[in-house]
Amino acid sequence: MNVLEVANLNKYFIEPVRNQVLKDVGFQVKAGEFVAITGKSGSGKSTLLYLLSTMDTDFEGSIMINGEQMKGKTNRWLAAFRNQHIGFVFQFHYLLPEFTSLENVMLPARKLGLYPKEQIEQRALDLLKLLDVDSQAAKRAALLSGGQQQRVAIARALINDPSIVMGDEPTGNLDSANSATVFGLFKELAKERQQTVLVVTHDEDFARRADRRIYMADGQIVEG
Amino acid sequence: MKQRLTNIALSASIAATYMKAKLRQTLVATAGVAFGITVFIFMVSFIQGTNEYTQDVVFQQSPHLRMYNEVQIADQSLLDRRFPGVINQVHHQKPKDILLNLKDANQVLGELRADPRVQAASGAITTQVFFRLGSSSLNGKINGVDLKREDQLFNLSSKVIEGSYEEVNVKTNSILMGVGLAKRLNVTTGDQTLITTEKGGNFPVIVAGIFKTGLTDIDKQQCYASIKTVQKLLGVPASYLTEIKVKLFDKELAPEMSGQWQARYHYQGSDWKKDNASLLEGDVLRRMIVYGVAGTILLVAGFGIFNILTMMIYEKMKEIAILKATGFSDSDVRGIFLTQALVIGAAGAVMGLVFGFLISYAVSKVPFNSDVMITLDHLPVSFKPVYYITGFTFGILTTALSGYLPSRKAAKMDPISILRG
Repeated sequence: MNVLEVANLNKYFIEPVRNQVLKDVGFQVKAGEFVAITGKSGSGKSTLLYLLSTMDTDFEGSIMINGEQMKGKTNRWLAAFRNQHIGFVFQFHYLLPEFTSLENVMLPARKLGLYPKEQIEQRALDLLKLLDVDSQAAKRAALLSGGQQQRVAIARALINDPSIVMGDEPTGNLDSANSATVFGLFKELAKERQQTVLVVTHDEDFARRADRRIYMADGQIVEG
Repeated sequence: MKQRLTNIALSASIAATYMKAKLRQTLVATAGVAFGITVFIFMVSFIQGTNEYTQDVVFQQSPHLRMYNEVQIADQSLLDRRFPGVINQVHHQKPKDILLNLKDANQVLGELRADPRVQAASGAITTQVFFRLGSSSLNGKINGVDLKREDQLFNLSSKVIEGSYEEVNVKTNSILMGVGLAKRLNVTTGDQTLITTEKGGNFPVIVAGIFKTGLTDIDKQQCYASIKTVQKLLGVPASYLTEIKVKLFDKELAPEMSGQWQARYHYQGSDWKKDNASLLEGDVLRRMIVYGVAGTILLVAGFGIFNILTMMIYEKMKEIAILKATGFSDSDVRGIFLTQALVIGAAGAVMGLVFGFLISYAVSKVPFNSDVMITLDHLPVSFKPVYYITGFTFGILTTALSGYLPSRKAAKMDPISILRG
C-alpha cells in the first residue's frame, strides 16, 4: 500500500525572479519504508519536504497521503491532518522553550484530543524513556542540551502515531553517537511499527543505510 | 463541541504558560489597563457626584413642573375675526388687562393631588414688592405659599437658619426672608420692615425667620409668607392663586404631563427641563469631557497591550511555526494570543474597578466646607453601578481590540517562511 503518492509536482519561487525549483517530480512511498532524500544545496529537496509536510500549499500537481489529496484543502483541515498523520522533526530541534520536555511532547496529543490527559502523559513518558531522555521530562526545554532537545523533538513527532515521520536534517547537529541512536530508532519505527520515515539529509552514511534513497538535482529526481 | 472546548482550554493553558514566562510585562500591561479604568471610575464618580449635587440644590428649589398665567398678546386680533382671509397689520399691539390668577386653582389642585403620579402639589401666589430702606427701596419678591406643602416639595424648613418656620404659618403679616436680602436691609428675626406693593399700598411686616438656600438669586431677593398674608397684601380674594407647583414621583414624566395639563386646564406651564436647560446642557458637556479623557487613557493602555503582544509574537515566530507544524490551526494560534489580551483586560478592569471604588470612597470622605453650598460637608461623589459596568465593558473592549490585531497577524503567519530561515 502506498502511503505517499506524488505526481507531476511543480513548484515555482516568484521572488526575486520566477524560478522553477521542482520540475515534474513524481514518486511513491510504501508503508514502512525508510526513505532518505539527498542532493546538493539548492537541489530542491527541502522544498519538496515542505510541500509533503502540507505546510507549503503553493504548488502544481498532486500529493496524496494515505489516499487523501492535499491540493486545495483549507488551512484548518491541513492542520488537523498534520496533527494526526504527520510527525515532523526539524533540523534545529525547535521545542517551545517555556514548556517542559514532557509538555512539549504532550501538546500535539492534547490538540488531537483522542485520549484523556493522564493517558497522554503516560504515553509521552514512555516515549521519552524510549529515547533515553525521561530524566529530563520535568525540565524546561530551554535548559536541555542540543542532543537531548532533538530527542525530545522526535518523541513529540511520534506522540500521535503518525503514518509518516518527516525529518529535515534530523541528525544535522547531533554527534555521531546520538546520530546513531536516532538512526536506529527511525529504522525500528519503519520495520516494527510500519511507520513511514522520510528524511532529508546531507549525511552520506545515513542515506546509504536507509531502505531507499532518492537523489535530487536541479529540482528533479535523478535516481530512486 | 467537546473538541472545540478542549481546543480553547489548550490555547488558554498555552497562553497561561506564556504569561507566566513574561510575568513582568504582563503585570505592567495589566497595571496600565487598571490605571485607565481607575481614573475613569474616579473621574466619572466625582464629576457626576458634583453634577448631581448641584442639580439637587437647584431642583430642590424648583418644582418638577409649574403652571401659571402669563400676560400674553393675543395671536389673533379683532380685525382677523372681522375680516378673515385678509392680511391685517396691527402695529404695537398691547395685551388685554387680565388677572394673573389661575382659574379654579383650588379645584385643579384637588384633581392633581388625586393623580397617582403626583407626589405633592402646592398652590402659590407670587408678587413683586419693594422693601423700604430709609429713603431708598429694594426690589424683591414675596412667595405666598402653603407652608406645610411647600416643605414637602422643597424641604423649606431645613433651610431656615434663624427664627421659626412654624411661626410664619400662624402669625399674620410675618415673613421668612432670604439671608442676603436681610443683610441688605439690615434686619434680623423679630424686626419690622415696610413693603410697598405694585399697586402702591404700604404694609408693615415682621421678619419671623431667615433662610438660606445657597442660591444667591433666591437668597438676595425672595421672601416666603403664608398665602393668606400675600392675598391680604394684594387685596385679592382667598381663591386667588398665581402658580401651581407639582412634584412628581418620576421627574422624567414632567414635560409630557406638563403638556397634557396645559391643554386640559388652559394654563401656561413649564417643567424642570425647560427651566434648567443650560444646567442640563452643561452636565452633558462635562460628561463628554470625562468620557473623552478616560477613553484616551484606555486607548493608551490599549496601545501598551498591542505593543507587548506584537513584540511577543515577533519573539515567538518560530514557536508559532512549530505549533502550526504540529497541527495547531490558525484559530488555535489566534486564541492563544487573544486569551492573553483578554486575561490582561479582565484582570486590569477588575483591579481598576476596585481601585476606582476605593479612591472614590476615600474622596467622598474628604471634608469640604463651602459658604455657597451650605448643605455640603464632604466632596460629592456618585456611586452608581452603571459607571462600573461601563468601565468594565470599556476596558474589555479596548483590550480585546488591541489584542485582536496582533493575534490575527500571528494566525496568518506562514510557518514555512520561518522554518526555511
